[in-house]
Amino acid sequence: MDYTNQIREIASKLFAEGKIDVFVGYRMTGFDENQVPALIRDPNEVSKLVFTDKSVFNLTNYLKQDHTRNKRIGMVVKGCDSRALNLLLTESQVKRENLHIVGIPCKGVVDENGNKMQNCIECIFPNPVVFDEMVDGTPTGSEAPPYQVNTDIQNIAAMDLVERRAYFEEVFESCIRCNACRHSCPMCYCAKCCIDQETSTLYHGANTTSSAFHALMTWSLHLAGRCVDCRNCEKACPSHLPLHLLHKWNEQVIYENFQEHLAGVHEGDRGAFYKYSMKDPDDFIM
Amino acid sequence: MARVGVFVCFCGANIADFVDVPAVVEEAKRIREVKFAIDYKYMCSDPGQQQIRDAIVQHRLTSIVVAACSPRMHEKTFRKALSDAGMNPYLLEVANIREHSSWVHQKDKKAATAKAADLVRMAVAKSIANEQLHEISVPVTKRALVIGGGIAGIQAALDIADARIPVVLVEKSPSIGGKMAQLDETFPTLDCSQCILTPKMVDVASHPYIELIPYAEVLELDGFVGNYKAKIKKKASYVNFKTCTGCGACWQKCPVKVPNEYNMGIDKRKAIYTPFPQAVPNKPVIDARYCTMLTKGKCGICSKVCEKGSIDYKMQDEIIEREIGAVVVATGYDLWDPKPYEEYGVGRFKDIITSLEFERMVSANGPTNGVPVRPSDGKVPKNVVFIKCIGSRDEAKGIEYCSKICCMYTTKHTILLHHKVHGSHSYVFYMDIRAAGKGYEEFVKKAQVDTGATYLRGRVSKIYKKGDKLMVRGEDAQIGQVVEVEADLVVLATAVVPNKDNPDLARLLGVSYDKYGYMSEAHPKLRPVETAKAGIFLAGCTQAPKDIPDTVAQASACAAKVCGIFAGDTMKKDPMISTVNKEFCSGCQNCVTVCPYGAIVTEEVPMGHGSKEMRTVAKINEGVCQGCGSCVAVCRSMAISLAGFTDPQIINEIVSI
Repeated sequence: MDYTNQIREIASKLFAEGKIDVFVGYRMTGFDENQVPALIRDPNEVSKLVFTDKSVFNLTNYLKQDHTRNKRIGMVVKGCDSRALNLLLTESQVKRENLHIVGIPCKGVVDENGNKMQNCIECIFPNPVVFDEMVDGTPTGSEAPPYQVNTDIQNIAAMDLVERRAYFEEVFESCIRCNACRHSCPMCYCAKCCIDQETSTLYHGANTTSSAFHALMTWSLHLAGRCVDCRNCEKACPSHLPLHLLHKWNEQVIYENFQEHLAGVHEGDRGAFYKYSMKDPDDFIM
Repeated sequence: MARVGVFVCFCGANIADFVDVPAVVEEAKRIREVKFAIDYKYMCSDPGQQQIRDAIVQHRLTSIVVAACSPRMHEKTFRKALSDAGMNPYLLEVANIREHSSWVHQKDKKAATAKAADLVRMAVAKSIANEQLHEISVPVTKRALVIGGGIAGIQAALDIADARIPVVLVEKSPSIGGKMAQLDETFPTLDCSQCILTPKMVDVASHPYIELIPYAEVLELDGFVGNYKAKIKKKASYVNFKTCTGCGACWQKCPVKVPNEYNMGIDKRKAIYTPFPQAVPNKPVIDARYCTMLTKGKCGICSKVCEKGSIDYKMQDEIIEREIGAVVVATGYDLWDPKPYEEYGVGRFKDIITSLEFERMVSANGPTNGVPVRPSDGKVPKNVVFIKCIGSRDEAKGIEYCSKICCMYTTKHTILLHHKVHGSHSYVFYMDIRAAGKGYEEFVKKAQVDTGATYLRGRVSKIYKKGDKLMVRGEDAQIGQVVEVEADLVVLATAVVPNKDNPDLARLLGVSYDKYGYMSEAHPKLRPVETAKAGIFLAGCTQAPKDIPDTVAQASACAAKVCGIFAGDTMKKDPMISTVNKEFCSGCQNCVTVCPYGAIVTEEVPMGHGSKEMRTVAKINEGVCQGCGSCVAVCRSMAISLAGFTDPQIINEIVSI
């Protein structure tokens, strides 16, 4: 999967037509084989852009940043990124008319060891659900596999509650409360995060396992029905926490109980918890 | 420094038998902020309240905890006691140690006492963070909406309008009148239904305070008591009511004939029609399902014959809005479809009809000019079998409840048959005769003597055909034998069921309904016309099966309730509603979509101090907010808080135990 040339062409064209102020894509780090996000403002720097299976990050995170707000933006999105974009549009965080979205028919990205990432293996939306033009001109890709339960979640579900708690306490012990997960998440755009607010004494105090766990649990519940499984958080985590365990668990519960709901698939869909409807079946609430 | 007073109630033996009340008081005294704690036999009594009032003054208390029954019972009582002593009433916190402790833990007094002490501790902790709140007053729109123009809607509309309150009466069909307009004579006095109803219908049409909107439906109702906004769809009638004189030339000339609903499909009406001659308003509408001009673009005769040029084939549905203060729902009833009674041959034998079909036939303005006939051959029947409880009181095939009116109208039908067909004979199969009502039992007794009808107590098991007669086989339980009756006509007293649109309408209005589809009253005995939603009232068979006297009485009761709401220019409202901290709001608007009352809108505020760039944040309409807290739960930024249930209050409660 290498769309470097096509993306450079599209970015040059957009600058030439005066359609965008900034193009958000990927460039090489300059010191190893990995890539980092690139914000290109100068049309002469378009040649820095690359796209390969190492273009791992979800760039929609930059839509909530000051340096792209109220500017006309060109942006590269993969399938998962486009779902996050859908949610940002639905939740009024970004204006559609300011965006020119370049869609990638994604075949999956790889981790540091060159292995295809687990979320890409399980991915059921490899093609963007919202875009202005596709990088290879074809809006459709291969048939997506059906939704399946993540194997890690199956393992956790098999544990009893005591075992499960012990497992999570052990896994999340190494959290250093740096909040990189939150900053890297496209869906975390609150003006002031509840975890940092004065009234929420429950998250304060020393960086203990319980306070870290409590903060992570709150965070994951605020992403329940909104997480698109891009795994920006895991890529950003300096302690290499398996944060997807929290999100995938929620995703599965919601999939099973809310008419097979998956986050960000349709624009205007606010997710499982954010709509009042008299037709809500309420069949699993006592 | 907070100074909390704790008042623990015995509730006679209700609490004291299962909770050690003095021990709870001792526990309360150990809390640092509690400066005064006492128990009393009945805290809600006047001497009990006096102790609270005295203690507030003597001990300079800053908040009050009453440990007693559910706040649903006496929160208002105790709030009043606080304000009488000059304290803000919202500094009260009720610890429910009756429903939440003594009543549910009757087997373990020690544990119940410990739990009661915990509940008091939580209430004390919360009360320390309680803030002074003040009632909100909201303006009231003095206009009532009545949904349904049957006798219930007509009576409610007239009574409200007579109090000089404007009424909007919305009726689904082209004319008001409802089911009562289809009846011939009414029990127990046998006065003519049309004769007593039509003057009221005319009053509605001519009343200066009533806006009659026929052929229309309510689409939406937003808002809250005193300030509802209703969206009403006026269905396209294809006739300009302003110029139409109701001369009738159009329906006389219309070539399309369709079954006449008013006469239960026994005869035909035209595609352009008024439902019945006394219709109000007496203007025809075109039934778009059948009119060939509208379906195929051919015909146009009515337009040609109309001298006033009132026919407009291009007319569209029109949506209008009305601001409303209160709503009366009077959607009436339908009849249960007897199809499940296969053993009676329903649907196979033409000479089995429903009670309302019989009613139409014996009506003077009916399709047969007041003479009952057999649908199969048009002959006048001599022997008529009436079968009661078709669908009613039948858990297997129909519904469990008694439809209440069938015993009486069947008795009336035997009289009408006796009057109209000389030499006829009625047979009535019944389970019980339920004739509770003024003059009802006398009516039944007299009818039995006068008509000589044969009453057979028992169920009919089978109806079969023998020649051109129907053989009705059933049990006569009083002699313990199977009997067979040869009948010319069989009349089924089908059950009363709610209007099939009731569940949809109930959801639209936001009121609850039962498993049958009847809308639910707020309390079965003490609040029988109110719904749980303030400002929405129920009249007639919307709530349960009823006869005409009960329906009229309930409609008038609704009118009294509506007038009560409109007695003042403003209404007081509980201040326990949500507020938005604009600084923290990120404008995702999830609160807007989650609010069941449509109470949240958005507003633009500057990005920063003095900034020209704007951002969108949520804004609560305090008149509409009901304080349910859904928005608080979904706000990830914790930008919304609910007065009376703020985060510091709840966290105080949690950390206190």
